[in-house]
Amino acid sequence: MITLRDVTKRYGEVTAVDGVSFEVPSGEVCVLIGPSGCGKTTTLRMINRLIEPTSGSIEIDGQDVMSVRPEELRRHIGYVIQSVGLFPHLTVAENVATVPKLLGWERRRYEPKVRELLGIVGLPPAEYADKYPRQLSGGQAQRVGVARALVADPPLLLMDEPFGAVDPLTRERLQAEFVRIQRELKKTVIFVTHDVDEAIKLADRIALMRSGNLEQYDTPETLLDHPASKFVHDFMGSDRALKRLGRARVANVMRTVESTTGGARSVVAEACGGSRFVYLTDERGVLEGWVDCKVLDAGTPPEEAGTTVDWHEAAVHPETTLKDALSRMLGFGFRNVAVVDADGRLVGEVSLAAIEGTMADADTHIANLEEGEVLGAIPEESPAERDELT
Amino acid sequence: MVALAGCLLLPFVEFRPNRIVSGTFETVFVAGVASWALVALIALALVVALAPGRVRGSLLLVAGAGMGLALLWALGVAAVHLQEGAPAIVRVSVGPGAWLVGLGALIVWFAGTRATASVLVRRIAGVAVLLGVAAIAMWGGLGELSLAREYAVQSRRFWTLVRQHLVLAGTGVGFGVLIGIPLGVAASRNRVVRDAGLGIASVIQTIPSMAMLGLLIAPLAALGLTAIGTTPAVIALTLYALLPIMRNTFVGLAGVDAAVIDAGRGMGMGRLQLLLRVEAPLALPLVIEGVRAAAVLVIGIAAVTAFIGAGGLGILVFQGWGQQADDLTLLGAIPMVVLAVLADVSMRGLRRLVVSPGIEEGTLT
Ligand SMILES: Nc1ncnc2c1ncn2[C@@H]1O[C@H](COP(=O)(O)OP(=O)(O)OP(=O)(O)O)[C@@H](O)[C@H]1O
Ligand SMILES: [Mg+2]
Repeated sequence: MITLRDVTKRYGEVTAVDGVSFEVPSGEVCVLIGPSGCGKTTTLRMINRLIEPTSGSIEIDGQDVMSVRPEELRRHIGYVIQSVGLFPHLTVAENVATVPKLLGWERRRYEPKVRELLGIVGLPPAEYADKYPRQLSGGQAQRVGVARALVADPPLLLMDEPFGAVDPLTRERLQAEFVRIQRELKKTVIFVTHDVDEAIKLADRIALMRSGNLEQYDTPETLLDHPASKFVHDFMGSDRALKRLGRARVANVMRTVESTTGGARSVVAEACGGSRFVYLTDERGVLEGWVDCKVLDAGTPPEEAGTTVDWHEAAVHPETTLKDALSRMLGFGFRNVAVVDADGRLVGEVSLAAIEGTMADADTHIANLEEGEVLGAIPEESPAERDELT
Repeated sequence: MVALAGCLLLPFVEFRPNRIVSGTFETVFVAGVASWALVALIALALVVALAPGRVRGSLLLVAGAGMGLALLWALGVAAVHLQEGAPAIVRVSVGPGAWLVGLGALIVWFAGTRATASVLVRRIAGVAVLLGVAAIAMWGGLGELSLAREYAVQSRRFWTLVRQHLVLAGTGVGFGVLIGIPLGVAASRNRVVRDAGLGIASVIQTIPSMAMLGLLIAPLAALGLTAIGTTPAVIALTLYALLPIMRNTFVGLAGVDAAVIDAGRGMGMGRLQLLLRVEAPLALPLVIEGVRAAAVLVIGIAAVTAFIGAGGLGILVFQGWGQQADDLTLLGAIPMVVLAVLADVSMRGLRRLVVSPGIEEGTLT
């Protein structure tokens, strides 16, 4: 558990962080968000003492960070920065082994761990361990950065805009992997971003900051439904129904589907059963495409009735948010999208109707929240906000 | 082109009755067959240089190497031919035409290495040239040239001087490394050290070497030391070696990506660990480059320290001037060039050996 109490950081006249207090329970993801320059990075770096607070205290599991030698503290806190900062003269494996070496681990202790972590972040060690950073793409480098932060198994992970420097599709994939890894490893994570969608997607709690102050600290749902101020309301954005879809995962609404490894017409036709489409997979179950059963019935051979796809692009994962699944459907112009696991094996599909179903619930919810009602809900402790509004 | 003109028009060798007085000049054609081979190779170089093609680089290498080897061969033949039956005191020296051809050969050779992508081809060509030079040196009559005769007379002393020269330059660079690298590190940590250190070092660099030896007299006297001999020479050389090493160390460290340093700190590296494990390896290429520049510089300046009795190859150069014995001067100057080239090549080799392939251009695909 991380506890910040009245933490303040001043640079001369500038107050970068102004009396911020919050608590992150163990195993939860806290996303720090807010406009540029609001003090997110400063707050994060005070936790591992890369910046010393002017006043206030920070505790990790009840221990004041100021009572630990900074180097010692940092070796037990994973740290990922936006610019990645891989050591260019070291191989991927050597980069990942940095902290274990600092901790004095023996080679035979850290080597398997390094390979395991590279596997976890989706970089097969056989292929990537001996590469140098400049041989990697931005997304791959970012994964190495995450593996490097996780390898010594720190209970706490600090991430400063870790997916900021990659293209949107890669970012989406990295986010999905983050969710998957976090579900497995259950770290306490403090994650900085200025992307609201990313925050909603990943956070157990969001700490929304504004010019050094903590505006609101709560679950994403609460920030969306009960913003503490007009600033929070505006910052979270107007497309709330859509945003809420960012909270629900495909796993919650997907259904199982028929699939076949293809082959003879009769086999495919039987797999069709009564449904309109049937998915095609290889022997290992990896998605290869689908067959339109109507076209098949019309007498077209299976090869021609089928559509071949690359699952990397055409499918979503159980961890994918409904929002991303929806945008994928709109992008392809389909009413269904296949769901595959991390290795591309077909596990089900999600339909537009299913997503609409969850939206309908949300809509009724929103309809109950008149704009005035929301603003009226501003709590007493922010008089400044009230002045602004009246 | 220049080489061709030089070869045909300028005197190729000088035929002199003894080692001091000047004599008569002969053109390249005294060398018979060898001279025709030389002319043919120069023509080849010209044709290749003007007609770009896929194997242009390799052909340039062949032409350059051929020119160099044919030149040596022709010189040997000419020397033997001209001295046939003459008394032992007669000398045959290398004339301006031959020098020009040599220069031409080098230009063509380096154009060739630059135009050749394949490392293998360059290696093979290099080895072939070395073998050729060795063969000609053994059987080609080069020993009959005046330069070689000077060497035969001076050989004991020559090697002593080479060793002295190496020790002088090596000590200068050694101290330069020992002082320059820590100063460079300090400069990257501290503004005052940076401004003062780099400022002073670049002032030193602008002092002409002769003036430097003079300027050292006063401070050395104050320390009770004489301004004559090895100690002041080493001090002067160290001062000259300092700037390139210190500046490159500083620039190398200052150029390390701030994000990389931040990552290192964030993972719990202390200042020393950060310096040794991250900053030093990343600055290494520039540091080595600084040492290389310092070595080449100091090998040249070490010639001047002969004036204050520190020894070295400078002695041969100055004696040669004093006696107007050009070949003696060359006997001092040529090995200096060779030493400088060797220093340059070995530092490049060292760089290839110790710098991580992760940061060295062109080492990864
Ligand atoms: N070393 C410093 N000296 C003076 N002011 C600083 C320093 N570091 C940060 N600040 C100021 O403190 C404030 C907060 O900076 P911080 O880097 O924490 O913002 P941020 O929320 O991370 O912004 P961004 O989203 O742009 O990364 C900014 O106004 C910045 O100008
Ligand atoms: Mg920031």
